[in-house]
Amino acid sequence: MTMRPARRPPVIARDNAPPPDTSAQHSQYALPLAKEERLWFCVYLPNLPLEACGPGDKDLAVIEEQQGVHRVLLASDHARAAGVLPGQSPNAALALLPTLTLEERSVIREQQVLELLATWLEQFSSFVCVAGPDVLLLEIAGSLRLFGGLKSLRRQVARGLEAQGFGASLAIAPTPLAATWLARGRRRACIREPANVMAALRNLPLSCLDWPPTVLESLAGMGITDVGDCLRLPREGFARRFGVKRLLQLDRALGHLPDPRNSWRAPERFCADFEMTEEQSDRELLLTICHELLHAHEQFLLSRQLGTQRLLFTFFHLKAKATSLPLGGARADRAAGHWYELLRLRFEKLVLPEPVIAIRLRGGTTQALNGTSGRLAFDGRAPREHYYSMSQLAERLAARIGNESVHGVNAVADHRPQYAWSTRDLFAARAVDALARVRQGIERPLWLLPEPELLSTDNGYPLHQGKLRFVSGPERLETGWWDEHGIARDYYTAISPRGAGLWVFRNRDRHHGGEAAWYLHGIFG
Amino acid sequence: MPRNSDTSSLEKLLENPRVWRARSQPGPAEGLSSGYAQLDRMLPGGGWPRQALTEILVEQYGIGELQLLMPALASLCTEEPGAESVEPGWIAWVAPPFQPYPPALQKCGINLARMLIVRPRNASEVLWSAEQALSSGTCAAVLLWPHVLDDQASRRLQLAAEKGGSWAIAFRPLSARHEPSAAALRLELSASHRGKRLAILKSRGGSPAVLHDVV
Repeated sequence: MTMRPARRPPVIARDNAPPPDTSAQHSQYALPLAKEERLWFCVYLPNLPLEACGPGDKDLAVIEEQQGVHRVLLASDHARAAGVLPGQSPNAALALLPTLTLEERSVIREQQVLELLATWLEQFSSFVCVAGPDVLLLEIAGSLRLFGGLKSLRRQVARGLEAQGFGASLAIAPTPLAATWLARGRRRACIREPANVMAALRNLPLSCLDWPPTVLESLAGMGITDVGDCLRLPREGFARRFGVKRLLQLDRALGHLPDPRNSWRAPERFCADFEMTEEQSDRELLLTICHELLHAHEQFLLSRQLGTQRLLFTFFHLKAKATSLPLGGARADRAAGHWYELLRLRFEKLVLPEPVIAIRLRGGTTQALNGTSGRLAFDGRAPREHYYSMSQLAERLAARIGNESVHGVNAVADHRPQYAWSTRDLFAARAVDALARVRQGIERPLWLLPEPELLSTDNGYPLHQGKLRFVSGPERLETGWWDEHGIARDYYTAISPRGAGLWVFRNRDRHHGGEAAWYLHGIFG
Repeated sequence: MPRNSDTSSLEKLLENPRVWRARSQPGPAEGLSSGYAQLDRMLPGGGWPRQALTEILVEQYGIGELQLLMPALASLCTEEPGAESVEPGWIAWVAPPFQPYPPALQKCGINLARMLIVRPRNASEVLWSAEQALSSGTCAAVLLWPHVLDDQASRRLQLAAEKGGSWAIAFRPLSARHEPSAAALRLELSASHRGKRLAILKSRGGSPAVLHDVV
């Protein structure tokens, strides 16, 4: 009796649909897809525990505690050649290869590496899914055209993984489970037609299915070793003896039942740590590490076409409280070189209370980065490379002398001289200030004193380097009752005996004293 | 025949890049009109030297030292962007002694959206900021009020101005008159009850002169 396929027509759940992509060309190809036309690309990483330890060490073995005893889980190629095999005790492995480095397995580290890889894979598909501790799935039906076909896409993924030091097994199939099983079976399968799935899975050993060993053992006891054997069993009996879950899995793998997956979403904000094996106080070394973190940050933002205006470096110490170093820019940027230059200026003055044990870089809120067109040097003059924009200049200046010391100015429509202007923040994103137009024709000095300076008087006449000679005035400026900074002043233009043009006023507010005082408020530079 | 060979060997010699001929020296670059005809006539190139350091020695503030620059600055920040610079027309004020007053600047025709005020905290930061602003290629003009400006610093400013294609104007007290300087143009502005006196102390490609009541 053969296993009958489920009656229900294959329906792909709504959740399974890749999230709508904003890019025009993507959605253009994604829309006309028939529901069945889905293609899953599976990346299976059998050596992840080993690869998560990082590249570099040739003689490396990962050990894991199994039932209270440490055993070798995986060994590098070089170590395997020397006879180190999975399942050996660490002592036996060390006896075979004295230079062997033993590393305890870290599931958390593997998970982090897997997520990094998922982030990297997002460049190939808008739908990436972490399907297990060592399995990643991509929905690629919508990406084929963009990446030049199935072969080309597969090659690009394979090359990228190899360059990052991952030995992956890849498989492509119309259902996620079939792709996963084929990848675990190390079949370099590439199946596009749903009708061909059955044929490809038939010969697959059951050990690829990630079923519990007890189930596999009892199946093996019945002489059932591959998927084809399983499919020949009566459905009801199979479900009763091995659980409905397994039956559903088989149906999903064959595409008879929907298999909705959750898309993995990369974090929107960057956060990375660099932990040192020992405390460091060498500032050059710390800067180098920061530079590396900035490079990772740039990669992170590059894959999202984003930039950020703020960064936060945190330097952790063993005993003292962590030192934080925030960096800010006038416009969103992601270039590591740009941030590094700002960091260097700020780092010079940073006081670290203790040597540093770890550095964390946290990115700020991201924003879309608009591309800029390059310029063709048609006029024979190459554009000068070393030039940079105003915002970059302002950032550089502010990084060294402080944000509050670099600003623009704005005119304000107010008749009171000290309120007729304001500073303009050059760092506010897209500061759109309407510049007030000042009434033309009135005489105003080019220099304004921060505070009016009280002038000494001689018989009621103001003195500044001698007796002042009035040229014009008075111009009466009064009131400001709406904000309690009202004034009542008569302004005069005067010339000092040494030829300086001055803007002086007499306070008409006589509440506080008998004689009206004279003040110097501006200089006609 | 021998004469002929002589000229050919002479020409050969002149082709040698190590031979420098006075005739090939470029004339004074076209200056930036100061807006004061009397002053323009006395300056080589008919105006302020672009891409160079100008020093103005002032007896005291308030005798027209800014008024002297205003027409030229106004023309700079309304000028069309040049082919070379990214975002031209900014005017940087480094360590001004008082607050430049926007309503008055606007009246002089200055585009306030192109003003950058920098207030460094010490003497070395003044020079550093000015150098950064000059060499960035963004600032059409950089006005600075340095506490000190020795020969070496003025040379650095001059080089930065050349690099960024920017006009540097340093305001200094009269006491700096006898200090050496790499500035392309040095002016002295003084005032008395009889009027204002503008003296050209040094002018690259020009000659010293004294002008009265320019501003």
